[in-house]
Amino acid sequence: MEGKAPEKTESQAKAPRLSSSAALGPMNEQYYQDLANAKETGTPVFWITSMAPIELVSAFDGIAFLPENYAALCSSRKVAPEFIDAGVSLGYAAGICSYALNCFGSMHLGKGAFGDAGPPAPDILLATEGACITHPKWWEALQRHYNCPLVIVDAPYTVDSDTLSDHQKRYLAAELERAAHEIAGYTGKKFDMDKLREVVALSDRTSELWDEIDAMRAVVPTPVSQIDVFTLQFPLVTLKGTKPAAEFYGPVVEEVRQRVENGVGFLQNERFRLMWDLFPVFHNLRLFNYFADLGAAFVSDLYGNAFSGRLDASDPFGGMAARYLSFFMRSSSMGKAVIYKERAKRYKVDGMVFHANRCCRCFSAEQPEVGQILRQELGIPSMVFEADMVDVRAYDDEQVKARIDAFIELLEAKKYPK
Amino acid sequence: MVSEFLDAYRNRHELAEGWKKEGRKICGFFCNYVPEEIISAAGAIPVRIRGGTENVEIADAHLPTFCCSYIRSVLDLALRGRYSYLDGVVFPKSCDMTRVLPGIWKRNVLTPFQYMLPVPGKDTDEAVGFLTYELDRFREALAAEFGGDVGDEALRKSIKTYNENRALVGDVYKLALSNAPPLSGSDMFGILMSGQIMPKEQHNVMLRKLLDNPPAPQGGSNGKVRLMIVGNTFETADLLLVMEECGAQVVIDDVDTGTRYYETLVDESLDPLRGLAVRYLRKTPCPCKHPTERRLERILALASEYRVKGVVLLNQKYCDSHLYDRPWIESKLKENGLQVLFVEHSDIGWVGGKFKTMVEAFMEMVG
Repeated sequence: MEGKAPEKTESQAKAPRLSSSAALGPMNEQYYQDLANAKETGTPVFWITSMAPIELVSAFDGIAFLPENYAALCSSRKVAPEFIDAGVSLGYAAGICSYALNCFGSMHLGKGAFGDAGPPAPDILLATEGACITHPKWWEALQRHYNCPLVIVDAPYTVDSDTLSDHQKRYLAAELERAAHEIAGYTGKKFDMDKLREVVALSDRTSELWDEIDAMRAVVPTPVSQIDVFTLQFPLVTLKGTKPAAEFYGPVVEEVRQRVENGVGFLQNERFRLMWDLFPVFHNLRLFNYFADLGAAFVSDLYGNAFSGRLDASDPFGGMAARYLSFFMRSSSMGKAVIYKERAKRYKVDGMVFHANRCCRCFSAEQPEVGQILRQELGIPSMVFEADMVDVRAYDDEQVKARIDAFIELLEAKKYPK
Repeated sequence: MVSEFLDAYRNRHELAEGWKKEGRKICGFFCNYVPEEIISAAGAIPVRIRGGTENVEIADAHLPTFCCSYIRSVLDLALRGRYSYLDGVVFPKSCDMTRVLPGIWKRNVLTPFQYMLPVPGKDTDEAVGFLTYELDRFREALAAEFGGDVGDEALRKSIKTYNENRALVGDVYKLALSNAPPLSGSDMFGILMSGQIMPKEQHNVMLRKLLDNPPAPQGGSNGKVRLMIVGNTFETADLLLVMEECGAQVVIDDVDTGTRYYETLVDESLDPLRGLAVRYLRKTPCPCKHPTERRLERILALASEYRVKGVVLLNQKYCDSHLYDRPWIESKLKENGLQVLFVEHSDIGWVGGKFKTMVEAFMEMVG
């Protein structure tokens, strides 16, 4: 495909960042301060995997630390390459999950994202294999290093939520209950069902609000930018089940609703509507601005939604089991394609962008298949670019942008034929 | 006689096609977490799905190049029609790639019967209960598909045959305890692999024949350096032949297609499905299951029993489950006085490549 880059015009002006997101700064600061003071305040520090039942952390008045989220932070603060190299020097292969390598390296060097000594050591390691096998493997390695209790929640495989059976839900509910009792033993704190019910209700409320924002992205023009969406995730990912997290999203929903009612879009002249799969490129979130300058707005991604899930607070363990078994990242490529097809129609999508995240094989492996399904069944084209979510060295900006240019040209010819 | 095993493995597709012509049903399976005993009781021949040693081409359009080389190779062969003889295929929940593959397989390979078996990640009593229940569903699905009698009596008979097979292979392994093992590592490869692609009854006949007249141990030591291989899987005896050329002999293993497949009998006194659930969850775990410590203990015990001087850690490229255990396993082996060679491979280019140079250098350290 030959030709010059599609033109950027004044009409592609972007709406400013959501003003309600300003509350994120102090919230972030408070979180890292609480984390740093955790040992002094006697707050149990839980290192948890994404998709682990974070609700159990707040139920025991603990603080959740997600090394994955922290790796994203290290990536955006440009310290990840040093940590990744240190991880590799310990004997871990260079191609494994860069979240994990960043974590091993930071741990080994005793260095953190802010030029500090890094996060406090875990009191409890909580992992699930609900998302990937990497999680328990990584947590086993952490357990050998920190010599602290490791709680693994075994989530049975389900093809998709339609085939989820009661016996599978019961098994996970029992796993969660066992985990709660193990944690009670390790922390010396009594397990309190009423407290868990409250936490689960807060978690549910947080997800409910998140889902409202997600639903409003379907409006034309889409009201929020992908950068806003990825940035807004912090409370959903790290503080879910707490009051501040649930309270944070109320004003955000209101602000987005205002935009929708006033017909304000992220792009004044939204020419293309795209879907993003899956991981952000944390070292270069500005890449979304490059799309925006070409008139393309992202209207849906499933990354944030993975952390959102409605819960039945009247039956905390059963509700959590149902939620953690039916989230989309657990389904096979067919299940994921079903979700994307439905979204493609509901969100009026013109094209799909796949970030082939080299180090996250299980969630990138199915991309070619999903892309084919979207093309064959809905005529939706897609583009793929290879990168690493954390390691900037596996990313070629020039090449990626050339691909984007070509893709936008293709969309232009399809949507606005001359 | 020993060569019959490797020949059978090499001709596995032709053998399966032959059985198919005779009217038998063929059911493929992945990993060593599918209780084949049930498939066999249902009247189908279970065959382990293996990859090849050719370059992957067609699968590139379906699976990125950074995915595990084994799964890519398997998909490539399937897309070329190499597995068109399959009447069924079973994927257990084991590693992440085995979880991703079924969706791609279902759309592109079109095996008539496809089943995903949820296998828990842990070995608790609850996990055994869970798997027992799932195996009952599996049994019903197989009975409906293949029409065999998968009642308890048929299962007990099948379990007995499988247990005999495990015991016979165990006896063959023990031959390597001798100072001059009568079978080479590459002979053993043929014996182990052939057992996973043919009916166990037939393999048992071959094994009995071998054990009735085992090749005589050579007197004294054969001068070879005794090694163990630890890792996932590989498709060819080539690497073992290269090691033998360099003066090494693999006498024992901890690989997916070796001891971890064959060891641990099913307790025949238990209800058959429960017995199977116990066996598959409580055998030495693969790295995708927990807890991992039992695997290390087993590796160290085997290394000691078989008096090995070094261990070759063989890791198929991009096999994450094994790669996470590597630094830990390697350090523990070294603490136990064993030399370690780590090899990451995609099962291509064993002969005439840098592998031989690596083994030669390793032999200088071990020898």
